[in-house]
Amino acid sequence: MDIVTLFNLEDLLICAVILVAALGAVLHRNLLAAVVFAGVVSLAVSYLFLRLSAPDVAMTEAAIGAGITTVIFLIAVRRTEEVEREEP
Amino acid sequence: MVDLLLDLALSLAAGAALLAVYRLLMGPGAASRAVAMDVLSLIIMPMMAGYALYSGRMIYLDVALVYGILSFLGVTSLARYADKGV
Repeated sequence: MDIVTLFNLEDLLICAVILVAALGAVLHRNLLAAVVFAGVVSLAVSYLFLRLSAPDVAMTEAAIGAGITTVIFLIAVRRTEEVEREEP
Repeated sequence: MVDLLLDLALSLAAGAALLAVYRLLMGPGAASRAVAMDVLSLIIMPMMAGYALYSGRMIYLDVALVYGILSFLGVTSLARYADKGV
């Protein structure tokens, strides 16, 4: 099975979503936005796992990545500070 | 024919997800980002259901169900943060 039959157009678009959201999660200075970007990455990766016919991995990724991690990171951002400081 | 139409529908939904990512990238403030994340989860969940129809495996619908519940949890905590803290 070559790459063209394995991935079609919607998978490539979802991969573009993952790439843009991951770059935003790394580069954004506002930590709340970075948390949202990380949640979007795990949401889209969950669809990609489903597309690669691993529904159990997709369910675990949706539970851990989208549910638990976003809430824990939001609590952590609230207890510390919202905007990342410049490096000295 | 049905496969072609489902492929087209999933591709259009993925393009809509790309537009929602644009709003997520540019949007000012936490409220528009929360709405964009909600829109993204509401796009990807029907994509999972459509892919369950495409592949004919009903276990994929359970993944869409779990995904819907937990993305609702994430968006709700985000909106609560934007209101008054978690």
